[in-house]
Amino acid sequence: MQTQYKNLGWNALFVLILVALGGLVFLSGKKIDYNWNWQRVVPYIVNNQASAVTAPEDGNIVSNAEGDLVLESLAGDVLVDLSEYEDLLVYEGDLIFEGDRLASLEEWRIGPLTEGLIVTIKISLWSLLFAIVLGLIIGLMRISSNPAVKKLSIAYVELIRGTPLLVQIFIVYFFIGTVFDLERFVAGVIALSLFTAAYVAEIVRAGIQSIPKGQMEAARSLGMSYPKAMIYVILPQAFKRTLPPLAGQFINLIKDSSLVSVISITDLTKAGREVVSGSFAPFEVWFTVALLYLLLTSSLSWAIQRLEKRLSASD
Amino acid sequence: MTRDYQGNDMIVADKINKIYPNGCHALKDVSATVHRGEVVVIVGPSGSGKSTFLRALNQLETISSGSITVDGTDMYAKSTDINKLREEVGMVFQNFNLFPHKTALGNVMLAPLKVAKRDAATAETDARDLLKRVGLSDRMDNYPSHLSGGQQQRVAIARALAMKPNIMLFDEPTSALDPEMVGEVLDVMKGLAAEGMTMVVVTHEMGFAREVADRVLFMEDGELLVNETPEAFFDDPENPRLRQFLSMVL
Repeated sequence: MQTQYKNLGWNALFVLILVALGGLVFLSGKKIDYNWNWQRVVPYIVNNQASAVTAPEDGNIVSNAEGDLVLESLAGDVLVDLSEYEDLLVYEGDLIFEGDRLASLEEWRIGPLTEGLIVTIKISLWSLLFAIVLGLIIGLMRISSNPAVKKLSIAYVELIRGTPLLVQIFIVYFFIGTVFDLERFVAGVIALSLFTAAYVAEIVRAGIQSIPKGQMEAARSLGMSYPKAMIYVILPQAFKRTLPPLAGQFINLIKDSSLVSVISITDLTKAGREVVSGSFAPFEVWFTVALLYLLLTSSLSWAIQRLEKRLSASD
Repeated sequence: MTRDYQGNDMIVADKINKIYPNGCHALKDVSATVHRGEVVVIVGPSGSGKSTFLRALNQLETISSGSITVDGTDMYAKSTDINKLREEVGMVFQNFNLFPHKTALGNVMLAPLKVAKRDAATAETDARDLLKRVGLSDRMDNYPSHLSGGQQQRVAIARALAMKPNIMLFDEPTSALDPEMVGEVLDVMKGLAAEGMTMVVVTHEMGFAREVADRVLFMEDGELLVNETPEAFFDDPENPRLRQFLSMVL
């Protein structure tokens, strides 16, 4: 009971500090005489702006047998059945030219920020997939007894870890991208995968080396080949141990993906930059962008925690 | 090929030497033969090379020179598939080395499923029988972390037996156990010996050696010094170094 009360006090202090920090941000926002307007951000996430239904070619508005209005072409074919729409802008007998507005349609559409978010998710998932595969291969090469294979992987890891991601993105896009005629999205995925794979490889190597030697010996003594022992004995254990550092690396990958905006991929960050110039609400937009990134990274870390819990059955 | 081997010499080690890259000479011209159904116990002070010798018998250690024939197969012949040969030679380790991510049953079933490619139903029936045999019928679904040392070592024995080996190697199987658990593991090993399994055991359990062994080997400094029946070994040791060793451990 005693400790419970004590903890209650500390938890209260934690909340208090958060509130104080929040208040500070709020006050400093006030102080700079900035007109906060969060509503301006909403249309860039989702909007239900009216869009127009236009005539595909010239024709007349007539009523058909059921008494509904339709657009009939000059040849007498029904082009558009207007009974589907509620807000009609035309009347019976109107002469219509190609491109004229027939009706307005309200529908929910995703805004540019959401589109950017989707691009970020796509680029992160593709890069994640390739980084895992490539990282596993490089990590296994790193512990090989063959000097050529081993040194290749060391060289790779040193090369990638020793140069900035931003520079790598430029090199992949401008050099490799030009040589192989790559799209910018593909170039972005390649740069991010190559970069993350180097770190994944080091994590995989450390994970495998942390498994006691006796495990490999026991597996081999049962007649398993080296690959079988790896697949069924070593890697499952290493995977469990490396989940926490891998989670950190994958969260980094999502955040690093913001750098691909430099090669004109409209990811969340670039969408944010574009929206700022259109909405004149930089503070709100950047806070929103940060929140969306946080949403991505926290769902990933939640998913990995779930996985860790499931794997802890054998502890 | 080896499954059909009918000869009497299950293991023939001929003048094997092991020199580590750092110059340490771990095995010096060791020659020994283990016959079918024989229980051979190797004793000696630590660092004498007895574990190295045992591990050389399933090539967990490669040798520098000499030859080893196991179950009728020359281990270092070009045509020998070491993985196939290891299926015939079960091994039990000092530190159990159970797979921590598998249950007791999963540990025993893994190699039959993935190496011998038996079907799941057969593998499971066999595994349950083996675990029953080592007295663990109520612990089949436990993970190693939930088993005592003695129980883990019995699972490890069942796991090695699951590949239906012709030879069993034991590398100090009771050295990492609490004293009260040594008995249960030795009982399982005695049962195996009684069934006629060919066994090579490195151990410090002199009682086991005297009671179960057909022959006892004494190693020191990488040399095989004594190769005798238990009676001659314990009651009338001739070798002065063996006498000194026995006076310290008995």
